Amino acid sequence: MPSPNDAFHADTRARLDLYLAVGLIAGAVIALQIGIMRVFSVGSWAHFGSLVVSLAMLGFGLTSAVMCVAKDWFERHWKGVAAGSVILLGPVMVAANLGAQQIPFNAIFLVSDPAQKWKLAGNLGLYLLPFLCGAVFLGTVFLRASTFFNRVYFADLTGSGLCGLLFLGALYVVTPEDLILVPLALWFIGAVLWFRAVRQTAPMLVAVVAGLAAAAVHIGLPATTGVPKLAVSDYKGVAYARKFPDNRQVTRIVSPFGDLQVYASSYLHFAPGLSDNAAFNLPKMPANAYLGLYIDGEGPNGIIRDLPAQETAYYRYLPMFYPYLLKDKPETFVVQFGGGISTSVALKSGSKRVTVAEGNPTVLEAFRTVQELKDFTGDILAKPNLRVIDHDGRIHLASTRERYDIIDLSLADSAGLSSPGGFAITEKYAYTREAMANYMRALDKDGILSVTLWNKEEPPKSVLKLYATMVAAAGEIDGGAFEDRFFAVSTYLSTATVLYKRGGFTEAEVAKLRAHTKAMSFDEVYSPGFVFDPASVPNLLTQYRAQLFGEEAKAKDPKAPAPSADGSAPAPEAEPLDGDAAPDVLPATSMGRLAWHRLIHGGFSALAADYVFDTRPLTNDTPYFAAYVKFADLPGVLDRLELVQDEWGYLLLWATLGMAAIAASTLVLIPLVFGWRTIFSRYPGKSLTILYFACLGAGYIMVEVGLIAHFVLALSNATVSASILITGMLVFSGLGSYVSEHVLGRAKAIMPVVFLAIGAILILYGLHLDKVLDAIGAWPYGLRLIACFGLIMPPAFLMGMPMPVAMTSLGRLGKDHMFLWAWGINGCFSVLGAAAVPVIATAFGLSTVLEVAGGAYLLAIPAFFAVLLPLASSGSDRPARAL
Amino acid sequence: MKRRDFLLGATAATAAGFGFAPAFAAALPTPFGQDVMPPMDGREKFVKWMAENRAEDAKYLGQRWDRFQVMVANKDVLDARNKRAFLMTPREEFVLKQNLGRAYEHAFLDIGFGVTISGPHVVGKMTTSIDVKWGEKVLEIGTGSGYQSAYLAYLTDKVWTIEIIKPLAERTRGIYDALIERGYGEFKGITSKNADGYYGWEEAGPFDKIIVTCGIDHIPPPLLQQLKPGGVMVIPVGPPGAQRILKVTKEQAADGAIQVARSDIYNGKIVPFVPFTKLEGDKIVGTHNN
Repeated sequence: MPSPNDAFHADTRARLDLYLAVGLIAGAVIALQIGIMRVFSVGSWAHFGSLVVSLAMLGFGLTSAVMCVAKDWFERHWKGVAAGSVILLGPVMVAANLGAQQIPFNAIFLVSDPAQKWKLAGNLGLYLLPFLCGAVFLGTVFLRASTFFNRVYFADLTGSGLCGLLFLGALYVVTPEDLILVPLALWFIGAVLWFRAVRQTAPMLVAVVAGLAAAAVHIGLPATTGVPKLAVSDYKGVAYARKFPDNRQVTRIVSPFGDLQVYASSYLHFAPGLSDNAAFNLPKMPANAYLGLYIDGEGPNGIIRDLPAQETAYYRYLPMFYPYLLKDKPETFVVQFGGGISTSVALKSGSKRVTVAEGNPTVLEAFRTVQELKDFTGDILAKPNLRVIDHDGRIHLASTRERYDIIDLSLADSAGLSSPGGFAITEKYAYTREAMANYMRALDKDGILSVTLWNKEEPPKSVLKLYATMVAAAGEIDGGAFEDRFFAVSTYLSTATVLYKRGGFTEAEVAKLRAHTKAMSFDEVYSPGFVFDPASVPNLLTQYRAQLFGEEAKAKDPKAPAPSADGSAPAPEAEPLDGDAAPDVLPATSMGRLAWHRLIHGGFSALAADYVFDTRPLTNDTPYFAAYVKFADLPGVLDRLELVQDEWGYLLLWATLGMAAIAASTLVLIPLVFGWRTIFSRYPGKSLTILYFACLGAGYIMVEVGLIAHFVLALSNATVSASILITGMLVFSGLGSYVSEHVLGRAKAIMPVVFLAIGAILILYGLHLDKVLDAIGAWPYGLRLIACFGLIMPPAFLMGMPMPVAMTSLGRLGKDHMFLWAWGINGCFSVLGAAAVPVIATAFGLSTVLEVAGGAYLLAIPAFFAVLLPLASSGSDRPARAL
Repeated sequence: MKRRDFLLGATAATAAGFGFAPAFAAALPTPFGQDVMPPMDGREKFVKWMAENRAEDAKYLGQRWDRFQVMVANKDVLDARNKRAFLMTPREEFVLKQNLGRAYEHAFLDIGFGVTISGPHVVGKMTTSIDVKWGEKVLEIGTGSGYQSAYLAYLTDKVWTIEIIKPLAERTRGIYDALIERGYGEFKGITSKNADGYYGWEEAGPFDKIIVTCGIDHIPPPLLQQLKPGGVMVIPVGPPGAQRILKVTKEQAADGAIQVARSDIYNGKIVPFVPFTKLEGDKIVGTHNN
């Protein structure tokens, strides 16, 4: 084996340069990953960013497979390979990013336009290139440093973690279109340090020139030629606003919490859930009443003007007005400020005092600092009777001792008019059973919780989940007696509102609510004493199922009525449309009524089992308004993807998982095909070694991604959670890796204990972390961050050890091919694991993710001993040469 | 008239300048009138008649006929007037050049500006459901490609259409004008403007029917006001391709009170919400074939 001295100059400064270079290049790669995801979030759709990054990361696996097969060549030419790949990394990342922006991929045409597949493939191919460069460089360095791998790995992990944090900091100052400059800068410093470590001056100069040229191209080319740095899809909400003739950008604030933009235009109209009767009964519709708020180009969320007294009658026609019908001078809590409509309604509908929460600090910053917004909204956040909570309302209400007459959670998301590309699979903790129960507890005696949600699906999906969730929460609070606690209304293809009253509605109140419902032409779905006979809709569930799947068999085995002999059209089989009698109640409304009937009087489980979509309540374990297609129905929707276009985000997760699985198994196969009998002929315990690194790869990433989703519970923001997790996991694991060299001598004795500890911690976290995070959520933010780091440290530190212990062991045992391959297997299964997390989480819950990861680490125990098996002896002191 | 060699004329060049299909420089042999009715009893007859009387490309006519078959089977067009409207409307004139090959596929297609031309099934279904009668005043919100209003022009001679995106409004107006010049006089019945459709077209109202082809989070009150009592409005809701078409009817009671009723274009029935049927080879396959 080459000694470290052969590979690198071993003086302290050179070693330090080496570690810094590895840390920075690894950091540049992770910054590039997060950067690409941001670019996709802002330019098109985040899900495709994840897909592209996941698959691009497979570049690591591919590289390792190639290096494994051609190890000797790489060993001989390591200096040239490392120099070439590191020099290329920077310019290639800029070129790939700029190139990808010129291939406008559009998810909504994925099914109908064959060209889109190639555009997606083009994006994928381009973004794969920089990852290949990074992988070749890191792989070469790892190979040459195999005997002190744990230290290089420490540099790799810590560098990634810290650069990830640095990148998130950069999001405050760098706009999405220039984000690529951040990994470029990290690469630049890393490359210079690398060439200083290996004492190569000429390549260093090349890297410097290449870096400067790349930056110049990124800045200069779009400026001179007009090609976009970041192509924003024409189909993003903000793209429409920019086309209005009188559009004007009021403000733009970039931060890790998103790219917030506010536009003004007389063409912006909002009135979420507005009663149709407003057109005839409202003396005057407020004109130019809204600005449009966009985050990452998604939106708009309406920002409402400070309406003068003569125009406030308008609020009565909005669904969020309901609780104010019953409450005089209420103490009101608005769970999410958003664009401020609910808060305006609360302030203008007689609230004595309003407390409003907003978890996105950038939104608050905009409303507090942008003069035009302050003028437009009458400086709403500074109103004397308004108090602002600068974190999630959900968390505040879980811990506060204050009690409220009204708690409002209305249309926290943007208009949701359409969601081409699929709804995001994001955690909606504000809508979980636990959150609802906390809202209900925070109500004063006789207080009202009012929740309004978009009701734009037919067959209904999210509203049924909402109903089930709120009733489940009431079950926690009121035991079985909640028949008089609810009042629910909906408007067809508009909104649905559920009111819950502590202590139950009185008859007079129900009468008042009903009268208002009638006056607004809303549809009553449930109220105390509401009479609904399930027998009146005997075939509803069957018909809904038939709507999606009914004639599936026929679709597969068409008995087409060929046009008649003369080619004339087949006659319509049903009665003409004009002659159809409209039923008194629309199916969607009947479905809502049926759901409420079953929820209140029993039998909802059976109804949920028969309904075509998933209606399980949201919980902290499965906090998703997504994944409505039931698992068993997935194959059935493949030939009718257009019918479930709002599920594409979810289906894409399956596609990513499938592609990752194929790629991972291909990677396992490549060295198998090329050298199972030659390269690995003297390697004992091959299969278990593969299993070992597969478990580590999948297990590690599942913990990381799973915990990011979990920690939002306490940290209330996905971006903060991601940054804490990425940094915490990688840095603590880096430390574990560093410490692991002390374990090497006694690995057989110590490592099983380490695995047991990891498995135990993860399973324990799976079972109880929610409660701990919920409790932490009530603490001051700084303390929360420290507590979260505290929770990350034990598993992350321990999880930093298995990889370097095994890799260093392989290196020291001379199992060099296996060393490379193991690294690739680990990378591939990381991608597989990451893709599996949302699939497992939506189907079984976030706790299951941690439990599965814990299981993977336990499974690694027996496999670990195979890693330590020495090479079988042969005539040569080196493993057989590749090929 | 046999299939022609088509030359790029001046008007066609205008359309081509927008990236649209090259058009034909010829006056139509048979101008549209209420009594004009293409044969509906066979592909060949239809193609021959249209080629001779309307000077259209047999290739697209064949595709139009095939799509028509699926639409009829799917009950997207029911009455003779709507059948004629679909068969007479040259959809290929309203799609981008790069999408010409897919002009008669069921899917919606990109037309630039973040806007799509709806699939023929949705257009057929929406238009059939508002039951436009000759002479009725129809307002379309969201001109887009112009195909919807062109289709309406075969059902009534009074169509108003509003497009919010100025360059798109101008481009589509250019297409209408070029077609009118080529003999499609029926498109003279389409009055268009670039404005915010939210406010409707008060000077031209009230309307018998309103067809909204762009999304919004509520029904614009001005449109409800400009709808005649007894009038019908349709609005698609949901993601492209899987939209439900919200149908709004405005009724005035004897005492003058106005009621608005929401339903969908299937009158509340649960039926598959986009067509499953498609043409495979020369056969229609799908879910409506029982």
